[in-house]
Amino acid sequence: MGVTCVCPVPVAEGKSVQQTVDILHKKLEQLGAVKQGSFCVDCETYQSTGNPGQPSKLLYVMHNSEVPLSCMALFEGGPCLTADANFDVLMVKLKSHFQNAKGHKVECRGSRYRYCDFLIKVGAVTMSSSARGISVEVEYCPCVVPGDCWNLMREFMQSFLGNNVPELPTVFAAKPEGLFAPADCVDTMTQYLELFNKLRKLQIPASNVR
Amino acid sequence: MSEPISVGVNLDAFSHAISGIQALRSSVSRVFESLKDGMKNRETLEGREKKFISEFQDTLQAVNRDLNELERLSGLVGRPSESHPLHNSGLLSLDPVQDKTPLYSQLLQAYKWSNKLQYHAGLASSLLNQQSLKRSANQMGASAKRRPKVQPSTLVLPPQYVDDVISRVGRMFPDMTIELFRPNGTSAVLLVTLGKVLKAIVVMRSLFIDRTVVRGFNENVYSEDGKVRLTWAVKTNLPLCFCSGTLSVTDHATTALLHYQLPQMPDVVVRSFMTWLRSYIKLFQSSCQRCGRFLQDGLPPTWRDFRTLEAFHDTCRL
Repeated sequence: MGVTCVCPVPVAEGKSVQQTVDILHKKLEQLGAVKQGSFCVDCETYQSTGNPGQPSKLLYVMHNSEVPLSCMALFEGGPCLTADANFDVLMVKLKSHFQNAKGHKVECRGSRYRYCDFLIKVGAVTMSSSARGISVEVEYCPCVVPGDCWNLMREFMQSFLGNNVPELPTVFAAKPEGLFAPADCVDTMTQYLELFNKLRKLQIPASNVR
Repeated sequence: MSEPISVGVNLDAFSHAISGIQALRSSVSRVFESLKDGMKNRETLEGREKKFISEFQDTLQAVNRDLNELERLSGLVGRPSESHPLHNSGLLSLDPVQDKTPLYSQLLQAYKWSNKLQYHAGLASSLLNQQSLKRSANQMGASAKRRPKVQPSTLVLPPQYVDDVISRVGRMFPDMTIELFRPNGTSAVLLVTLGKVLKAIVVMRSLFIDRTVVRGFNENVYSEDGKVRLTWAVKTNLPLCFCSGTLSVTDHATTALLHYQLPQMPDVVVRSFMTWLRSYIKLFQSSCQRCGRFLQDGLPPTWRDFRTLEAFHDTCRL
């Protein structure tokens, strides 16, 4: 496990989400990447029915197929808990304190590619079965310090994303010299959460999704 | 030699055959000369090519003719008589059953072959000795007859001295930590951690560096019994830029330990090797000096020049 960067990719002009995803897959295969199955990242929202008068905080419970036996629970900008898969059952039992906002489940599914030391996951983000956008996750396995390899990753992303290369993720800006915590995927999930929230706030684009 | 030389040998044919050989040699060298000179200048490209091809064909046919001529002449020369044999071994040739046990002719062939072999081996050894890559203490050559010399003292050093040298080298570089283990006998095994980039396992033989394996920073370098792992199977999910066999950092480190050699001053060697290894602290941050990019076929510049410590991709390093 190494430095991971998650970024959104705008949908291509005049094409649907699925078509853009297919274009990206083809570009990766042209580059020489090998398909290694599929991946899925999902996020459920729980609203805390805590003390009245205080604004209710949103708890996000996320799963990543990369770590299938784990479950991450995090507050936006706050602490993150890594637990095993039984945490979902626990959340059901905590119904009285945390209400599941059922319509807000976000999922990202797609294919997983491997190119040399890079792991690339390109997926379509869907919210209640309507495609909202595209996410690309690039992981560079040998390195654990984000500040070191950011330029290298940028160059790689440029080779198949063209001009849609993102800026340094805010998660890294906070600790460029620090270790990217690989074992519990906290930084990865934080980035996914940011992406999902950004896509949630976007209105459903009127013309592009067809 | 009691017998006169028999007239099985046709001296005339010999001289013709020798001049046939000379003719063949000159026609072969003419072939290569015409290849070396390339296409002569003509107006059109097709004209040039046609002229070149026809010249080439002519020279090859000349070679063919000379070769056939030589074969014909060598048939006339006849076999060298075996009736003036070499001293006592000639007694073997008195065996009348020549076809079943052609001892004497086989003996002659064996002598010729071993003479040629000795000659070629002499040439090869003089070429190889120009680049001395000896890493052992044994002397080559005639030492089998002489008393074997005392082993050079650099190969048998007290472990305390080795520890001191290593700790001195470790203190030289602040971003490199060296841990020393002795899992098997007196050979030291060093675990060099370079910043947060890589870990190198260096197996030593007294103060000489014997073998090295370089792995990523977050890989587990310990085996089940808590010792440092010395053997690494090539798995498909481990980082390619470190795995040996893919022209990775491990391969380059092995090249480096063969490059830095000074049999009399092994501590200088260790220091130079560590200085070279330290240049990898910016493995993921440096771009290649030649092509300016970070990635080549998905790999960062894994080669460090031995003198200038500049970063190059493996394919850019010429």
